[in-house]
Amino acid sequence: MLLDVKDIHVHYGRLAALRGISISIEEGEIACIVGPNGAGKSTTLLAISAVLKPTEGAISFNGQALAGMSPEQVAEMGISQVPEGRHIFTALSVEENLHVGAAVRKDKDKIRKDFERVLETFPILAERRKQSAGKLSGGEQQMLAIGRSLMTSPRLMTIDEPSLGLAPKIVDRVYEVLVDLQRTRGLTLLIVEQSAERALKAADTIYVLRSGEIQLRGKAAELQDGKAVHQAYFGFSQPGKVEF
Amino acid sequence: MAYAIQVLIDALSLGSFYALAALGIGLLFGVLRLINFAHGDFITIGAYALIIPSAATQATLFIGDFAPIVLIPCIVAIVVIVALISEVTVFRPLRSASPATLMIGSFALGFILQNLIIMIYSGRPKAVGMWSDLSAGVKLMEGVEVPQLQLIIISATLIMLTSLVLFLKRTKYGIHMRAAAEDFRMARMLGVKANRVIMLAVAISGMLAAAVSMLFVVQTGILDFRMGLPLMLFAFIATVIGGMGSLVGAVVGGYTVGAVSILLQTFLPSEFRAFRDVFVFAFVIVILLLRPQGLVMSRSAKERV
Amino acid sequence: MQPKSAGAELLREFWPLIVLSIGLTLVVVVIQLIGDNITSRTLTEALIRMVVVVSLYIFIGNSGIISFGHIGFMMIGAYGTAWQTMDPMIKDIFIPGLPGFMLDYSSHWILATLAGGLLAALVALISGYALMRLSGIVASIGTFALFMSFYSFYLQWSTWTAGQSTLPNLPVTTTPWVGLAFSLVTMLVAFLYARSRFGLALRASREDEVAAKAAGVNVTFQRLIAFTISAFFCGMAGGLYGHFLGLLTVDTFYLPVTFITLAMLVVGGMQSLSGAVVGTLVISFLIEFLRKFEAGFDIGGVILDLPSSSAEVGLGLVLLLILIFRPAGLTRNAEFYWPWKPKVALATFSKRQS
Repeated sequence: MLLDVKDIHVHYGRLAALRGISISIEEGEIACIVGPNGAGKSTTLLAISAVLKPTEGAISFNGQALAGMSPEQVAEMGISQVPEGRHIFTALSVEENLHVGAAVRKDKDKIRKDFERVLETFPILAERRKQSAGKLSGGEQQMLAIGRSLMTSPRLMTIDEPSLGLAPKIVDRVYEVLVDLQRTRGLTLLIVEQSAERALKAADTIYVLRSGEIQLRGKAAELQDGKAVHQAYFGFSQPGKVEF
Repeated sequence: MAYAIQVLIDALSLGSFYALAALGIGLLFGVLRLINFAHGDFITIGAYALIIPSAATQATLFIGDFAPIVLIPCIVAIVVIVALISEVTVFRPLRSASPATLMIGSFALGFILQNLIIMIYSGRPKAVGMWSDLSAGVKLMEGVEVPQLQLIIISATLIMLTSLVLFLKRTKYGIHMRAAAEDFRMARMLGVKANRVIMLAVAISGMLAAAVSMLFVVQTGILDFRMGLPLMLFAFIATVIGGMGSLVGAVVGGYTVGAVSILLQTFLPSEFRAFRDVFVFAFVIVILLLRPQGLVMSRSAKERV
Repeated sequence: MQPKSAGAELLREFWPLIVLSIGLTLVVVVIQLIGDNITSRTLTEALIRMVVVVSLYIFIGNSGIISFGHIGFMMIGAYGTAWQTMDPMIKDIFIPGLPGFMLDYSSHWILATLAGGLLAALVALISGYALMRLSGIVASIGTFALFMSFYSFYLQWSTWTAGQSTLPNLPVTTTPWVGLAFSLVTMLVAFLYARSRFGLALRASREDEVAAKAAGVNVTFQRLIAFTISAFFCGMAGGLYGHFLGLLTVDTFYLPVTFITLAMLVVGGMQSLSGAVVGTLVISFLIEFLRKFEAGFDIGGVILDLPSSSAEVGLGLVLLLILIFRPAGLTRNAEFYWPWKPKVALATFSKRQS
């Protein structure tokens, strides 16, 4: 088990955002957390990245406990997040953005190789490498954010709502890239998605999060008819064929 | 024509002071969201470090007597150390506090530093004679003679600005610093070491303060525990009209304020000249009313609604 | 313990004000009874500062904007008052630049103080019209610039202010009781303002400027109201101060006073009236205590004395410690409601940081 999140609680002041979440992810799989707005999906990723500290429970990665670590240390361990809204450094060029991704690494040659590889995977970035990152379109920024995250040479990449604000065709492309990363590089992915449909298509394992609690956990293959997911997502079941 | 050149050199020289000071402020604001009310006192400390602690009104040079090649690194080191200590003892504990709290904290720090100076050196202003041969004139062209010092100030500033730009654009840490200034949390999530970047920014801010202090002492020849205040105020103003969060803006603001100041001094009728500063402030208020985001637009300064 | 009658309801609403007023009066009475001339003077100075700090609360507490400029208003009020109460002959010698009618004019110190306050308020109204459009840190820098410009202006304006010299021979009319009276009035106004819909609107802008604007609050206007009212009382405090010292120098109204009054408010709790009062008393006491150390303490034959300016350094350290460990101040930004249960309207209640 690569990532083991055990029964964590996260509070914003007195408000409980997560009430006992447990997630376990195997190396090389794509796991998806789906759920409505305000469910606590982003909070979960932020807790994993150590931006938020759980008030209870424990997270361990590759057997090592993440308690008390800073976000920088978690990045060093091999967990990299592509946050909601991308958070591109608009004051920097595309190239510079990618180089910031290499902050955790010291091996100059490998860094250069990975840099070339990212540019290969995302030709649009190669084209615009000297341009200011603020000038990229939404989809291009998403590619840049993923590429930047790849530069950290992660073992686990967490992605928060990759479809946010993007046209469906672009989202298709993003998911193509993500699945490809898993296939060709063996990258483990934890994706947070609002769209259950996308999650069911792309993931190996699905978690449904609602109101700070995991309502359902299962293999995507077994949940394809969507009924159980719908029930867990909305809290009521829909008769007949499920469409999200 | 000759007169115009004199005025121009004056404006550039004064503007350089303000630009350097504004840069020191702007750097810390960019990375830390901190308006450093102690920056003026960092400058003051750099200046007082040149003399032997005493209550005398004619100061005896201490470090100020060393050869420039030793003097400059010494003063820079002293100010940088004070700045780094401030970061660790004051700014870091307040890291997660509101910008207002940070500001008051730096205000308290400045107050403490000022009074420590009074404690060690007494509150009386002192005269300092250092490098006085620099005020000798240099003939630029027919009818135009400017003090060497002004040319040195302008060129030193240009060199420092260029170095800073190269650092920020070409080096790994410079890029990290720019990233952290825009989105601190994201930079951390990518593994950029927060504290290291901040210490670096603080150190550079200290270097800039040290530069201002040395140039200022040579130019005015007076030490006063409050000497940093007007400089700091003009630095704030330069940063604000240049656009908060923009280093280019800070520099532009600095030269603008310098230019306005000199122009007012040159063209104001003599009864009003003593009130020059008041007019500078009025000018700033007008700028802020017309263009509250500052002269140079900065993406990072925009607030997301 | 929930009140039932209208009278009890009123009592509960005004409880913090009542407690603070009675408490302060008691403090003054006690110190006057057991103290000597020196303690009396210290007390008067503290009460004058109290007026300033409560004025600071009116603006800073409700708007959330740190103002470094209010001591400038104190100065304007001080000189404004002095211009009215000074002996015409002395005015002629020291500040001959005053317009003719002012040179001859003389009035009772109470009227003069009120007029001084009004002058400060007028200046605040005019300068605030420009400044209050700014927000947050930029606004604070604006107040700092305003302060420095007032200071440098008055320093240069020697025909009206005696510039770098001292303006002497002001009638000494400020006693501790005068200080107390003005403090109580300022506290009453501060309390009523905070309770009013103006105070509420301003506090809304403090919490979330965008949301307040969206709710129809004219933020600039509300800030201007608080700015002007606070300048009025600050100005009067200045008048009181001049007539406490018996003389005036522009230099008095510079950084140390700015720092001390701001520290008093922050240490007490920026967002509460109780904080302003408590902070003033605590810091005044602390400063006196540290000054005694500076003068030298004889403890069983061993002289313990600190270098001068230690009190200031100590004050700075105290402020830093409060900012780090208790940023909402000693009162935690809450008003003093015990034994009643507090109403939410007046205090930001939920232990938030300042």
